[in-house]
Amino acid sequence: MDNMNVGRHISGQFNEDLENVINHVMHMGGLVEKQLSESLTAVYEADEELAKKVLANDYQVNSLEVSIDDECTRIIAKRQPAAGDLRLIMAIVKTIADLERIGDEAQKIAQVAMESFSSEQKDLLLSLDNLGRHVLEFLQATLDAFTRMDFDAAVKIHKNDNKIDREYEALMRQLMTYMMEDPRSIPPIMSVIWSARALERIGDRCQNICEYIIYFVKGKVVRHTTPEDMNNL
Amino acid sequence: MISVTPKASLDNESRIDLNNLAPEQVALDVKNLNLYYGEKQALQNITMSIPKGQVTAFIGPSGCGKSTLLRCINRMNDLVDSCRIEGEINLHGENIYERHVDVAALRRKVGMVFQRPNPFPKSIYENVVYGLRITGNNNRRMLDEAVEKSLRSAALWDEVKDRLHESALGLSGGQQQRLVIARAIAIEPEVLLLDEPTSALDPISTLTIEELINDLKKQFTVVIVTHNMQQAARVSDQTAFMYMGDLIEYSDTNTLFTTPSKKKTEDYITGRYG
Repeated sequence: MDNMNVGRHISGQFNEDLENVINHVMHMGGLVEKQLSESLTAVYEADEELAKKVLANDYQVNSLEVSIDDECTRIIAKRQPAAGDLRLIMAIVKTIADLERIGDEAQKIAQVAMESFSSEQKDLLLSLDNLGRHVLEFLQATLDAFTRMDFDAAVKIHKNDNKIDREYEALMRQLMTYMMEDPRSIPPIMSVIWSARALERIGDRCQNICEYIIYFVKGKVVRHTTPEDMNNL
Repeated sequence: MISVTPKASLDNESRIDLNNLAPEQVALDVKNLNLYYGEKQALQNITMSIPKGQVTAFIGPSGCGKSTLLRCINRMNDLVDSCRIEGEINLHGENIYERHVDVAALRRKVGMVFQRPNPFPKSIYENVVYGLRITGNNNRRMLDEAVEKSLRSAALWDEVKDRLHESALGLSGGQQQRLVIARAIAIEPEVLLLDEPTSALDPISTLTIEELINDLKKQFTVVIVTHNMQQAARVSDQTAFMYMGDLIEYSDTNTLFTTPSKKKTEDYITGRYG
């Protein structure tokens, strides 16, 4: 939290408001991370109870998104933040929207645990789990970078999203092959495809969060920029 | 899958470049300005160009020199015995501190409005035409036209048109301040200096004056000193942050309030100052 330069306002109340909202974002990040981790475990171990727990807990993520958004609105109304404080609030408002969507994607993944798979199809679940664990590490690294507002880490993570994309494409080719070989496997495979797609989207959301970190630290908007522009930061 | 998107601009290309203004874009050029009150140096090597037809705000903590710098522009500091100035302020290319400069004429070109409204103890009409009368203009029709034009420009005409010959002291604070602005613009200055023009006013009058400032810049170059940072952010096109007599940062207002380049500026505008 040091890089966020939260403290040292003349207004102690403003310090407290910012610290509270940042703590709530960290809490939301931790919850989303846990949702993703448990959804992957539920799928790999065919644990329906764990999957139901993930589905049931999504409301907590949604509630946090609403309440943090409300906190940010109050800070803007009361404090008229400027410069770094303004960029921090804007970064938080955008980050919680992406975290909430990651929570929704974790829900989609947990749904797969409700499907039945043959022993031959369980190899696909292993590939999905591999992709999932990489995406989980990606999310953890993103949340760490957000906690520290680490510009260098954010740039590195942003660039590494293409590794997630390549792994996703490889899994998709594998799934296509399966479906072509045995059309009867299409319904359960479709669930795996949606889960893989959800994981790829989580990677994109993490990339977005890195863009918000870069915006907060450097004041540069890097959304919709080319890799060459990213290299010039 | 990554899709290549068109290159997005990382810079706001419509922003004016304060370091590379064309001569016709410059209203005031401050060059290496140093000001001393006796032995104490109050302004240190100030250099800046103030664009024509825009609003420039000076912000900074108390005692930083922002009002002192403002008062240099119309040589009000000449009235302070111990004040000594080095450097130049060029108004349309001419240094206003040259020996031959007619200070009264300068102050017709560079009008000033102060923190406390100071209408003369005269009628509303006579307040507005005062400057015109002392320059020898007594044509009734021209004065009437000037009064209406100035009061309309100051967003006061509709409120006072039926009582122009009543005392100006009967107006509210916000109305008095707009009257003072009308008085200043009646003699068609080139530059308007506003020294905390809304500090003594209620919130509604403040917002009315701010709307007025937005209109005034269509006709004049406006320089405003304000303690209210949000006001500076709302009304100005560029902002100069001063600290202990130094010009710390001077850039377009959007940049200064979102991504200031100097830590002192960041600390001040985020309330970490002190």
